[in-house]
Amino acid sequence: MKACRKCHKLTTRSTCPYCGESTSEHWQGYLIVIDAKNSKIAEKMGIKMPGKYALKVR
Amino acid sequence: MAKIFVVKTQVGQEENVANLFEKASKRTGKIYSILAPKELRGYIFVEGEDIDTIKRIVRHMRYAREVLDKDVKIEEIEHFLFPPSAVANIEEGMIVELISGPFKGEKAKVTRIDEAKEEITVELLDAMVPIPITVRGEQVRILKKEGE
Repeated sequence: MKACRKCHKLTTRSTCPYCGESTSEHWQGYLIVIDAKNSKIAEKMGIKMPGKYALKVR
Repeated sequence: MAKIFVVKTQVGQEENVANLFEKASKRTGKIYSILAPKELRGYIFVEGEDIDTIKRIVRHMRYAREVLDKDVKIEEIEHFLFPPSAVANIEEGMIVELISGPFKGEKAKVTRIDEAKEEITVELLDAMVPIPITVRGEQVRILKKEGE
């Protein structure tokens, strides 16, 4: 899996399908957002879309 | 109202357990997010409506051990959400010790910092000819600041 350098969303592609930014293989920390509306963690991170995210991308 | 609970897992299986929770949540609902920070081994955070749903999922889940009874506040786990950069405390001119890799134990001077890649370039102090070596920020320990 690769992580988007901008939105941190995890994908298998070399460019992020959501924001078009390049992705990186070097990422750490794993976050799965299921319900972004009710999640305090998603709110804190500014995430509005459900999915899998990295916490840190290099 | 969402609450965040700590789930004990088998060490090394944190991401697996997070994925299994995601799968289980499709059946049970009431799970909002799952967090597996890199720094924390053997534990993950599960955000959900109530502890009973999480306990019920854990009972039938491989690699998950138990749910801690007390929930945690978002402020207590905030530092996991925004991990600091590995080069945050490193400055040019600092003397560092390499703590892993082929030059482990060697002392070196920092000559360049790449914030985006979280890498630093160093020159070994004991080398006859100064050869720049680029290493990751986590691979060094700060010994001295410039001028100390």
